[in-house]
Amino acid sequence: MQVYKAPLRDMRFVLHELHGSAELTALEGQGELSADLIDDVLEQAANFTETVLLPLNASGDLEGCHYENGVVRTPQGFRQAYDAFREAGWNAAASDPAYGGQGLPASVYKLVEEMICSSNLSFGLYPGLTHGAYLALRSHGSQELKDAWLPKMVEGRWSGTMCLTEPHCGTDLGLLRTRAIPQGDGSYSITGSKIFISAGEHDLTENIVHLVLARLPDAPKGIKGISLFLVPKFLQDADGNPGPRNGVSCSGIEHKMGIKASATCQINFDAAKGWLIGEPHKGMRAMFTMMNSERVSVGTQGLGVAEAAYQAAVAYARERLQGRSLAGAKYPDRPADPIIVHPDVRRMLMTARAYTEGCRALCGWVARALDEHELSPDQQIRTAAEDRVALMTPIVKALFTDLGFEVANLAVQTYGGHGYIREHGVEQYVRDARIAQIYEGTNGVQALDLVGRKMSSNFGRPLRSFFHPVLAFIDANLEDEALADFIGPLAKSFGTLQQATAHIAANGLRDPEEAGAAATDYLRLFGLVALGYMWARMAKIAVGKRETAGADAAFYEAKLVTARFYMERLLPQTGALWSAIRSGKASTMALGEDRF
Amino acid sequence: MTNGKIEKVAVIGAGVMGAGIAAQVANAGVPVLLLDIVPAGAAEGGDRSAIARTAIERLKKTDPAPLMSEKAARLIEPGNIDDDLARIGECDWIVEAVIERLDIKQALYAKIEAARRPDAAVSSNTSTIPLHDLVAGLPETFRLNFLITHFFNPPRYMRLLEVVAGADTDPAQAARVSRFADERLGKSIVRCKDSPGFIANRLGVYWIQAGVVEAIDLGLAIEDADAVMGRPFGIPKTGVFGLADLVGLDLMPHINASLAKSLPPADAFHALNRDLPLIGRMIAEGYTGRKGKGGFYRLNTANGGRVKESIDLATGAYRPSARADTETLKEAGRDLRALFNAPGPVGEYAWRVMGRTLAYAAGLVPEAADDIVAIDDAMRLGYNWKEGPFALIDRVGAAWLVERLKAEGATVPPLLEQIGDRKFYRVENGRLQFFGLDGDYHDVVRPEGVILLEDIRRRSQPVLKNGAASLWDIGDGVACFEITTRGNSLDDQVLDALDRTIKLVARDYKALVIYNEGRHFSVGANLGLALFAANIAAWGEIEKLVATGQKVYGALKHAPFPVVGAPSGMALGGGCELLLHSDAVQAHAETYAGLVECGVGLVPAWGGCKELLVRWSAPGKLPHGPMPAPAKVFEMVSTATVSKSAAEARDMLILREGDRVTMNRDRLLADAKARALELVEGYTPPERVEIVLPGPSGKLAMMMAAQGFHKRGIATDHDLVVADGLADVLSGGDADPTVPAAEKDVLRLERETFMRLARTPGTLARIEHMLLTGKPLRN
Repeated sequence: MQVYKAPLRDMRFVLHELHGSAELTALEGQGELSADLIDDVLEQAANFTETVLLPLNASGDLEGCHYENGVVRTPQGFRQAYDAFREAGWNAAASDPAYGGQGLPASVYKLVEEMICSSNLSFGLYPGLTHGAYLALRSHGSQELKDAWLPKMVEGRWSGTMCLTEPHCGTDLGLLRTRAIPQGDGSYSITGSKIFISAGEHDLTENIVHLVLARLPDAPKGIKGISLFLVPKFLQDADGNPGPRNGVSCSGIEHKMGIKASATCQINFDAAKGWLIGEPHKGMRAMFTMMNSERVSVGTQGLGVAEAAYQAAVAYARERLQGRSLAGAKYPDRPADPIIVHPDVRRMLMTARAYTEGCRALCGWVARALDEHELSPDQQIRTAAEDRVALMTPIVKALFTDLGFEVANLAVQTYGGHGYIREHGVEQYVRDARIAQIYEGTNGVQALDLVGRKMSSNFGRPLRSFFHPVLAFIDANLEDEALADFIGPLAKSFGTLQQATAHIAANGLRDPEEAGAAATDYLRLFGLVALGYMWARMAKIAVGKRETAGADAAFYEAKLVTARFYMERLLPQTGALWSAIRSGKASTMALGEDRF
Repeated sequence: MTNGKIEKVAVIGAGVMGAGIAAQVANAGVPVLLLDIVPAGAAEGGDRSAIARTAIERLKKTDPAPLMSEKAARLIEPGNIDDDLARIGECDWIVEAVIERLDIKQALYAKIEAARRPDAAVSSNTSTIPLHDLVAGLPETFRLNFLITHFFNPPRYMRLLEVVAGADTDPAQAARVSRFADERLGKSIVRCKDSPGFIANRLGVYWIQAGVVEAIDLGLAIEDADAVMGRPFGIPKTGVFGLADLVGLDLMPHINASLAKSLPPADAFHALNRDLPLIGRMIAEGYTGRKGKGGFYRLNTANGGRVKESIDLATGAYRPSARADTETLKEAGRDLRALFNAPGPVGEYAWRVMGRTLAYAAGLVPEAADDIVAIDDAMRLGYNWKEGPFALIDRVGAAWLVERLKAEGATVPPLLEQIGDRKFYRVENGRLQFFGLDGDYHDVVRPEGVILLEDIRRRSQPVLKNGAASLWDIGDGVACFEITTRGNSLDDQVLDALDRTIKLVARDYKALVIYNEGRHFSVGANLGLALFAANIAAWGEIEKLVATGQKVYGALKHAPFPVVGAPSGMALGGGCELLLHSDAVQAHAETYAGLVECGVGLVPAWGGCKELLVRWSAPGKLPHGPMPAPAKVFEMVSTATVSKSAAEARDMLILREGDRVTMNRDRLLADAKARALELVEGYTPPERVEIVLPGPSGKLAMMMAAQGFHKRGIATDHDLVVADGLADVLSGGDADPTVPAAEKDVLRLERETFMRLARTPGTLARIEHMLLTGKPLRN
């Protein structure tokens, strides 16, 4: 039996206390937002995910999706759960009111997403992909296309996909072959094969809207010759309802390691009718709008799984009785002490907790930037927020998914042999979490994005959106003795990050392979410092509140202990990473290819 | 005396070229008489010299400025041919720059012959008429003293001077004019034979014509054509069509016709010289290039927009300019052979235009020039090519070129056959040598008294070197510090090399020259590095760089040996501060110096504020009292003033009394070295001085001025923030005007203010904008 209770107290802490929810009301269209309203949304989401989605997580994993004659059936109960999800308005929650959405800011909705991912990652992919397609279409589509397709997608009656990958091209999209031929009536005829299409075909919605990357006849070679098209499963009839079947078919689904309840499809386009989104040959730009948001969402998947795995590990560590505490029996009346007394089990639980809460806080910081970029009335704030989103997106994606997998693994380890068997459902977290490190750009690609594009863009301007606030925070609290144990380690690791950044910028300019060899270590170093920044800020709040918190004091005490654990036991990894980075590419690249 | 000095010059013909030549003579400090005809219908009592007078007024307003200073303008005296021709008797050299008509020129020569001094040189600025035609029928005394001096437009800035001596020209007279043009006017002399179009235009016109015709034939967009014909060959990015716009489309048919008329029938130019209806139509409609309504490119400002447009060669209609397709260029990289061989229209265009131009160049020796060096020099100096055609042939391989020419049945010039698989240039025992017509290699000989670092680099090793700078032994106990970074920008490595240089020169040398042969002496501190450091909040690193710069520049100033700064081109910010810490400056006339830090939201902090305060506080510069000097420096620095010449830099006290100007770029190092050696005897380093600064009341006065500009919309919001910082430094902060401040106090204020401003978002935005666009941000 999987267990999961949405961590509402911590979520409220992140939203209201750490990042301040009152400021959200200053954003455009958010005047009505109040703390009560937010808490209400979070509670409803908690209730829905705990009671509707969680029970389907293990069963969906066991049963998987079914493919027969071009038709894909989702596991038992998914259809009903999806209908309930849609009827409760969750599809529309974070979308533009102009198309029927409720306009919840990302700061709130990312928490809902986390709950969905904790309770049922596979399920979350169906509405998640739709939201990504919605974003690309809303930002780049013509008004006509938007009016025709967005309302039903926002409502959740129609779902969306993104069709990028082809059998011979994954990361390197410049190689893709799917063709689009103009038909003279404003539409295009799309032909080609796509693979690994999440939610490409299923039985949850009346129609499926594919966003497809393809080449026009006069397209330049490579990545600069790719355009984006909207290609529906069913064309609309005169009333805007699903009409004739388009030339889109599903020729099979993949058999995967995890997220088995999510249909991963092979989709064939055979002279399918489609419409251009945005300008010709500018498809990658449109796709990236969606990809940035999707990458933060994938990071949230890592966070969601980590939270669920952590809770499972805690539950088991409390009830499993094995051995005695090294400090002498803690529960002499029982046959053995619960394993939570053992330092090494503690190490695993504290690590999981510190990472998970740290990621939640950082996710909130980035979500706030997403909101400010989209909704702030102040141009300067919008630009700074855009920089922060751009900088932090690869970090959130790669760090959160790597840590999500790590925490899921720690949960299995806490269970021992019982984690390795199916009964408790913990090994599913390992399998489910694994994909998040791969899709939407592998974590290696994220690291290259960070050291290549983000670091060099505008002479490092995106970096400013992180380095300046962190240094300002350090400077402002350096003298506060109550915070010395937190600010000290943060300042030290921040200095290390500055050195590593300057080092990679200088060496990478001279030799791009140097940057490439350092990239993954650097991303982790950056991520750990970012979590350190969050933990120091959380510690500052906890120090200020614990005396007067009354019944809530335990929450702040726990925060401080976890913050201390992070600073003392996890953040020091930055030193080792810096050593590795400084050693350069030589030993990585020295071995001849034929020696492998 | 045909070898006497030239102390006064007459220029006849006050058109663009004549006036420009007169301006450059005046820039050299030599008085010049500028004559033109009496305007038709000049009223009784009206100004009979109006044409020359108007031309002088126009010189003062032209951009880029033909005149280097106001003083130079006063050296040009206007006159007219009818009343003042007799006055050419005062002149040692008479330059004719009238309309390109043989009859008019010859009639004028007859008058000149009557009025000139017997030893005066006469030269024509003709670009199309052969010398033997010009002197036909004129007396021997005239022919003896006559030559062609062909300047390029604009005469101040184009370094090429083509000199043609006729069969009868007295070599001493030609040498006299050449020496004056070289040393005083700063021109590089290329001796040409008396053949049509001389060298640069003969080849340049062929190249442009090929570029236009082949783009039409191949259906290539002009952006793509210019992208091929520019950077890959080391040619300015204007390529062919952009250059035609600059020169003026209306000139093309005239030049082509006159060249075609005088070239032998077998010349390859005839095959290219066809009538182009598109160009005829453009000229008729006023699209004559940048001076007209636009040319092949134009800026369409209709409907309030600013859209760069290009002409479609097929339809003749304008369309929005597109980014050039540079895929082929990228693939070929620096490999010209790969570019010539590249499949598709881009490669084909490269070959048809440049392949043939190179072959044409090879055919010009010995017809138009005695050796290949003259041809390469002419194209480098007259068309701003980085390398001349023969250096380009060396890159492609002469043998390969011959093979390809033969493959398409083209004639192969004998010189190309002769050289086989050898190169036109080689370095032998550290000396650059060229391939002569005799089949042997000969040293490339520099004019007497020229020292080039380029040559020193070939034959010796640097005394000291790192990734950003080198130190060279230039003989006679003098060392030369050369910055080698991009734009010669300054970073921690340059400072480190300079620091080590100071110690080494103190031990092993008598004097130091700071000089390089880049386009710019130094564009200032490397802002990219600084901005990156600021973005990652590495304030400690930035502060260290500022402090190190102050320390090293201070050590340079107080070193136990004389230091001569020898700038050419831009000397901005930290580059200007290098000059301010030198004992003397030997400046190329084209020196553009200034403290421009405020433009990027900073203040000079490597001692620039301090040095200018010291210079302007020196007795006799300004009225007494603590206020005038800071106010003057504030005015210059807050507006990021840059001199438009060495003469203007002198007005700013970047050059001081005793500092000298070199007109010829190639003579700068030799002059700087000589100046350094002059200073060695009895040298004592300057002492540290104290400066009386006005303190808070002075700051208030400066800020009132700045706020006035702000109210009038001339200064921006962030200008005020920066001005406030600068006023802090220049007023001495909370200095007491009765107690002189030490240099180190001003240096401390420079550092503190710099660091304060570096942290402001407005300054970071300015730096970023400058780096990305090359233009200042007015925030």
